Amino acid sequence: MLFALIKKELLALIRDVHGLAALFLMPLVFIIIMSLALKDVYDPPVKTLPYAIENRDSQPLATTLVEEWKKRHGKPQQEGANWQESVQSGKLSYVLVIEKDFSDALVSGKPDGGIQLRLVTDPGLEGGVFAANKAELVMIASEMRARALLAKTRMMMGAPRGRHAAVPDADTEVSAQEIVEAERFAAGSRPSAVQQNVPAWLVFGMFFVVASLSNLFIQERQCGALARLASLGVPVSIMIWSKALPYLVINGIQAALMLAVGVWLMPLLGGDALSLAGIHWGALLIVLLAVSMAAISLALALASLVRTQAQAATMGPVVNILMAAIGGVMVPKFVMPETMQRIAEFSPMSWGLEGMLAVLLRSSDISGVMLPSAKLAGFAMLMMVVAVLLFRRRVS
Amino acid sequence: MLSIKELTFRYPSADKPALEGATFDAVRGEVLGLLGPNGAGKTTLISHLSGLLPVQKGEISIDGQQLAVVRRAAPARIAVAPQEYAFYPMLTVNENLECFASAGGLGGTRKQQRIAECLAFAKLERFARTRAERLSGGLKRRLNLAIALLPEPELILLDEPTVGVDPQSRAFLLEAVKELARHGAAVIYTSHYMEEIEAIADRVVIIDEGKLLCDGTLEELLGSGAIKVHLGVDGMGAPTLSELLARFGVTKAAGEGWLLTLAEDKTPASLLSALEQAGGRIRFAEFGRSNLEQLFMSLTHHSLRD
Repeated sequence: MLFALIKKELLALIRDVHGLAALFLMPLVFIIIMSLALKDVYDPPVKTLPYAIENRDSQPLATTLVEEWKKRHGKPQQEGANWQESVQSGKLSYVLVIEKDFSDALVSGKPDGGIQLRLVTDPGLEGGVFAANKAELVMIASEMRARALLAKTRMMMGAPRGRHAAVPDADTEVSAQEIVEAERFAAGSRPSAVQQNVPAWLVFGMFFVVASLSNLFIQERQCGALARLASLGVPVSIMIWSKALPYLVINGIQAALMLAVGVWLMPLLGGDALSLAGIHWGALLIVLLAVSMAAISLALALASLVRTQAQAATMGPVVNILMAAIGGVMVPKFVMPETMQRIAEFSPMSWGLEGMLAVLLRSSDISGVMLPSAKLAGFAMLMMVVAVLLFRRRVS
Repeated sequence: MLSIKELTFRYPSADKPALEGATFDAVRGEVLGLLGPNGAGKTTLISHLSGLLPVQKGEISIDGQQLAVVRRAAPARIAVAPQEYAFYPMLTVNENLECFASAGGLGGTRKQQRIAECLAFAKLERFARTRAERLSGGLKRRLNLAIALLPEPELILLDEPTVGVDPQSRAFLLEAVKELARHGAAVIYTSHYMEEIEAIADRVVIIDEGKLLCDGTLEELLGSGAIKVHLGVDGMGAPTLSELLARFGVTKAAGEGWLLTLAEDKTPASLLSALEQAGGRIRFAEFGRSNLEQLFMSLTHHSLRD
């Protein structure tokens, strides 16, 4: 009896192609995606980030620093004086600004020289990469200062090479930490984990309407309710809108709820608060609307594509999780290698995330979110065409 | 009212047509029983009338106007109560009626009036606030029917409306269907229960493999059949008995006895008399005309279908 029941179970499983795909294909794809995406986690891509240098110091020490940085990080981009925009938009990961008194402050070794080296980074730059770059800059500057002080001391004492050199004064600073500053380029908001996580999981959550929308759609198709509506003369367009609009509202509630959690609940739980200070509300609404349209259209297309409840139950979450894995929700895009980052560009979740981060981290206005919003709107239109074509077939 | 002429339909990639030259009418005030084994073409026919399939060949018209034109102008003139529970199980009875009434173009006080009338017709008033998923099978069937009646259709298609219901609900539903016809609607009723069709249909159409096999009133279809006699006889040798029976009609063995289809000029009384004169003792004898089930089985050749 047990054998017969086991056999039945296995046969049922083998004949459920979608279930099998969820069991085998999804972990397989996940292993591939996650391994590729996290490839550089233990070797952060500090050396390959796009950056620029603004050198306001004409002395040789500044040139030495530039050369040293180039040696370690490759060739900088030519951005001129308007690099702020590029950093804010994330086009440049950071800019190294060498102030005009850098060389003097370095050689003097006095702590009152003020900030002479600035590392101004993309607001969304990952914390580890941010800290690594800052530490490297302090290290290079300190080494240069040590060499400069040593050379100065030798010159003052006329001591030949190889002999014991005089120890600098107690108030002479060897570390260059006090002249180095690293800051994120942020207009209005302070970057934090919550500032990055809320948009990521909000986008993910909004796309999850796929599961519930397709479940109900299959149910009403199978019981004949949709055919009944069609026989009553309800146009396909009305049927589709009647599904899309409630989910637009649901997406809106999701967004309000998630943002509220970030703003009010997170501080109560001891976390950082999400800051909405200085954000462009119009831009936020446009991004949210575009994400919602893309999510609902995808849901409608998938719901029209699948044939059974079981397919709907597996396909929706699988598509969502894969889009999230590729699109930078589960693994932030900046820790991915370049190839994976390019692949991420094709995930609608990545576009949504890009738009949300632009609003919440970089305080972008409407023009700053037009590109990701346009991509999402285009995707929504494509999916809607697919949905309408399949929907007509399914209803009949 | 409804006129179907030479309707032929072939599904893409199908070997043979699902419907082939089907021709019949349904008139107001009558219940038309539509019979056919599985795969006969009933669903294809219903899908045509529901507007879910286009007419490939032939013609369907309502009061002389093409079906497509009628459907475009007033789709609610034709209603379908499908075999499935075609409503939303998570909604209450009233919410379902509201939803489909609005979908059928009803609004305002007219909508509320029709909902109340249909609730009363299906005797569902007590369950108006009950979720559809919690209704019994019989009540679900009644809700299915009530939804179909919301827009006051002139032609109503009921596809197996009594499947899985208790005898009381079945009796109620059959009476309700007859009432619809009495009020002037044309009703097309499909069922596998022959006794239901015999009980309520004014006319019967039997289709099989897409073709129309017969169309007529019950009297026409059953009255024309020859008399069958099923009998058991002792005291006679098989050859003698067989020879005697052959003089009265076509004979074949049936269980412990014989089944005889009487020739037109013979009567059961003359047969029984001849048997007694020949020394036979009649153990049992039953006779009568074919019922609908026998007619159906003989027309569709008794074979099991996929």
